Amino acid sequence: MNSNRILNIALGAYVVAIFVFVFAPIVFSVVFSFNSQRFPTIPLGSFSTEWYVKILNDPDIWKAALNSLIVSSSTAVIATVLGFCTAYSDFRYNFRFKGPYIALILLPPTIPLIIMALAMLAWLSKLGISGQLWSVVIAHSVLTAPFAMAIIRLRLNQMDPDLESASWNLGGSEWATMRYVIIPFCKPAIISGLCLAAAVSFDEFAVSWFVSGLNKTLPVVILEIVQGNIDPQVNAIGTFVFFTSMTLVILAQIFFVQRQIKSTKS
Amino acid sequence: MTKPLVILEKVQKHFGDFIAVKEINLEINEGEFLAIMGPSGCGKTTTLRMLSGLEEPTIGEVRMNGQVMNKVKPHERDTPLVWQSLALFPFLSVIENVEFGLKMRGVDKLERKKRALEWLEKLDILEFSERDISTLSGGQKQRVALARSLVLEPKILLLDEPLSALDAHLVIRMQAVLVQLQRELGITFVYVTHSQSEAFAMADRVVIMGNGEIAQVGTPKDIYRSPQNKFVAEFVGRNNILTGIVSDVKKTKAKIETGSGVFSVILENNSLKKGEQASFVISADLVHLSTSEPKTDNTVYCKLISEEFVGSMVTLFLEDQNNHEFKVQMQERELSKFELKPGSKIWLSWSLKSTHLLEVN
Amino acid sequence: MLIKKIQKINVYAMTWRLPIIVWQLLFFVGPVIFMIAMSFFLVKNYRMTEAFEFVNWSKMFSKNYFWDSYLHTVTIASVSTVFAMIIAFPASFALAFKASEKLRRWAIFLLIIPFFTSYLVRTFSWFVILSENGVVNALLGYIGFGPYTMLNTNFGTLVGYMTLTLPLVVILQTITMASIDRTLIEAARNLGCKPLATIWRVIIPLSKAGLIVAAIFCFILSFGDFVAPFYLGGSQEPTLPILILDTTKSGQQWPRAAVVAIVMMITLFSVAFIGIALAYRKKAKK
Repeated sequence: MNSNRILNIALGAYVVAIFVFVFAPIVFSVVFSFNSQRFPTIPLGSFSTEWYVKILNDPDIWKAALNSLIVSSSTAVIATVLGFCTAYSDFRYNFRFKGPYIALILLPPTIPLIIMALAMLAWLSKLGISGQLWSVVIAHSVLTAPFAMAIIRLRLNQMDPDLESASWNLGGSEWATMRYVIIPFCKPAIISGLCLAAAVSFDEFAVSWFVSGLNKTLPVVILEIVQGNIDPQVNAIGTFVFFTSMTLVILAQIFFVQRQIKSTKS
Repeated sequence: MTKPLVILEKVQKHFGDFIAVKEINLEINEGEFLAIMGPSGCGKTTTLRMLSGLEEPTIGEVRMNGQVMNKVKPHERDTPLVWQSLALFPFLSVIENVEFGLKMRGVDKLERKKRALEWLEKLDILEFSERDISTLSGGQKQRVALARSLVLEPKILLLDEPLSALDAHLVIRMQAVLVQLQRELGITFVYVTHSQSEAFAMADRVVIMGNGEIAQVGTPKDIYRSPQNKFVAEFVGRNNILTGIVSDVKKTKAKIETGSGVFSVILENNSLKKGEQASFVISADLVHLSTSEPKTDNTVYCKLISEEFVGSMVTLFLEDQNNHEFKVQMQERELSKFELKPGSKIWLSWSLKSTHLLEVN
Repeated sequence: MLIKKIQKINVYAMTWRLPIIVWQLLFFVGPVIFMIAMSFFLVKNYRMTEAFEFVNWSKMFSKNYFWDSYLHTVTIASVSTVFAMIIAFPASFALAFKASEKLRRWAIFLLIIPFFTSYLVRTFSWFVILSENGVVNALLGYIGFGPYTMLNTNFGTLVGYMTLTLPLVVILQTITMASIDRTLIEAARNLGCKPLATIWRVIIPLSKAGLIVAAIFCFILSFGDFVAPFYLGGSQEPTLPILILDTTKSGQQWPRAAVVAIVMMITLFSVAFIGIALAYRKKAKK
């Protein structure tokens, strides 16, 4: 009994250690961003907002932040529309080649980003549309649509399959049913999907780096600053990026989980 | 006899190789309460879905008011359905659920609300009009589902086992609500169920389905007292079914030799020939018990196997010497006179007019 | 029958089915196929011309540094996979069997967050933490050790890989083990199976498929990552992703980069295929 307790405590401590490892870089990045030292270490220097002031006064950072905002919000919309269409097709219809069809949308995240980056760069150059913000949006939509699709598909799974028929039965055409039943039912998942796609897009650096040309996004700026030297500005930008994506992910979870609880109650 | 509202003519439904409905001919009258009953997988729900347009018949025609409906989309008909799952829209309030059908039909906002409120009041759920669906009890949801369909003022209401999710005491109450509604509105109800008690309690006519076919159509009493075939006799339960060879045919009765003895059977419109096989039933509640051998025809000496009590009614399960099962149903206080224990021997008997000959099949 | 089908194109169904087909053909299948085609193109005077030559393949395959890099990448990704699986296991075990349902949900939710937050910034953070006079060496200094060189070593690369893979591996292992039928484990314990033997004989075989999937993901992520080996490993021994980076960014040798990318994809598909076959076959036997 006693040894069992010791084992449990040890396992608990181990889990905590794993979480410390996973979250240490995030925490340190935030801490260092408010630290006066150029080469942050222990003991910490004094509290300082120097790095934030620096990035706030840098027009390039502002430009990149704006680019990131445009890219991630456009990506979120396109990816969620694509994800919704696919999730609904999968939910509603059985058709030939459905396996390859689903694979088509789910495959991209399993391919290393560096390979996607190379392929996208080459192909978009070939089509003459590389080096623009839209090139990044296109590439990111391919990468993030699966996340939106997955979360909307999960939501559709929770739907009483009679709900759609019930709407037809009450006089709703297929289109009206889509508008007044399917979309309202999926709304929480659609919002989650938008948030997740935006979060992934906001952080993505490899593909952006390859295809964005001169229209750099924030992660690309970080990548370029990081190359070679330690510049605590990165921590400040990084902290901003972290909190943006974390907010998006948490929002996504809140929307999805809350509705789930509500719908299981009914 | 009123005129038929819906006619199903030689209707079949196939799903790939699977034939859900083999061939159905049925007329549904205006203003009647029709129950379609059968075991699961008998095709009753498929039949209902064909009436609502959710399934298109593979072969045959469904006609309503003389118009062929096969190709008419579900949303273009007035055949609201009350679902087994209720299928209420969880993201809408009670009143929005009830308004849904009117909204789809383009009824303007004020009119919609007025009519929805009327129906909420009629079904006694007005106080919940702004509530979320998830906050309602099972019985209340049931009423919302009914209001949502009835607000469309259809000529026919389809119901797919709507009471199957309710507690027993609520089922009885909702049955009364449904029957009263149907009488008041004078519209046709088509009620699919696997529950005999629901069907017999509410319906004017009952359709018994088995294996994708109609086994019998008739009033509850017809089906209970005069099943046409073995399938119906077995499905209705509480029937003793005996099969044997006809040994003697007279004008109004025949003798049938079975493994349990030779019995007389009344002949109605049946024509029997000597030497052919025949089956007949005796309803379990028409069998009498006696401790000494009765001086009549139609007696069997049996051993009691078990008893089953439902309220004040008791069903006895007995076996004769060939291990053929007999069922006897009676009031508990009548039974107590006999002081039976499992294993006790007792005589069963029934009068000639209690017998009912099945169509040969 | 077929003609009837074609005549009756369902506009509604196609509205939802077609967008992703068109989009992915244009921007996913298109790029991948073009990359394969590109591996046969020629580069002259820093300009790429469309051709069908095997010169890029033969050039790359004849280079020792390519094969060294290939071996190094496979090795370090495998080591990373083994490490991640072993390091994650006790934590996943605890979360799956010792934690309450609620705690487990929370843990999984927390572990999802890093997956959606900047890996780049996390790597940079490690760069600072692990540097010669960084936090770790400062802490070790207090108890009289170090300083150790951790950056620009394989250790650094592995720390980066763990940052990338551990959350996912813990999640997958936890979910797999949490879904094992508890009664089987209790039965094994009842029959006198010792705790460690229960893990080895009951829990691992029962969760084999899920564990293999976790390992596959871990391998894919490590194998394809260029950030950890580049920033934390110092790219002295370049991995394949760094090779792609170098050939693309400097020298415009896209076709050769394509060769490396294709070799990587073939490797990954083989690993995934073998892994899944392994997980599936063992299951079918039982």
